[in-house]
Amino acid sequence: MSDPDLIARYNYDEFVPHKFGPWMRFDESPPLGVVAPDFPLWDLDGGETTLSAVWSAHAYTVVEFGSFT
Amino acid sequence: MNSLADKYKEDGVGSIFLYTHEAHPGEYYPHHTSMEMKYNHARVLRDELGVTRPILLDSLDGACHRAYGSMPNMSWIFNRSGLPLYKGDWTDVQSIEDSLRYLLQVGERRRGGERLAAFRVERMDYRIQDRENFFKGLERSGPKAVREFEEAF
Repeated sequence: MSDPDLIARYNYDEFVPHKFGPWMRFDESPPLGVVAPDFPLWDLDGGETTLSAVWSAHAYTVVEFGSFT
Repeated sequence: MNSLADKYKEDGVGSIFLYTHEAHPGEYYPHHTSMEMKYNHARVLRDELGVTRPILLDSLDGACHRAYGSMPNMSWIFNRSGLPLYKGDWTDVQSIEDSLRYLLQVGERRRGGERLAAFRVERMDYRIQDRENFFKGLERSGPKAVREFEEAF
């Protein structure tokens, strides 16, 4: 797991511009049509998989990013 | 989004929900300080909001979310080779369905013998602003989340 400072900044404790603003970087996201970066992910039972395992399972895969709040 | 997933499942379309950080941490659902907390919030999402798609969690430092631009409720469509074919900085069912239909037609056209080459498009899509439901979501997190959103905008 990465450094505690990064974890604390990413998981900001209040929705104020100087805390959430730096993370809004859609303009820097991966381009269309080029193989996307892969990452480990975990299911609700704790099993580990990867984003590439997800996208390789179907002709097309819709990935919605979000949270309860 | 659950209905969309069900509608296109038989067409070879998979759908997942990728759990990130709390966009609007509040008294009831504060910011994550552990994976255990993140798991608990993801289960609440499944149980209270009825998300029927598979829910997968990003790491606590949001490595995947950060690499894809960190927007709070964005959606992407990948093909089987890992090429992103659609990305939206917000999630809108109509926008995603339009793209899925188009992509599925591409497959049909190719099977029909058309030679197709990919090219990139940028466009603006438009979504309905449902402020009432949005604020209900903030209230689920707690009064702090409502107050902070009102102060931020």
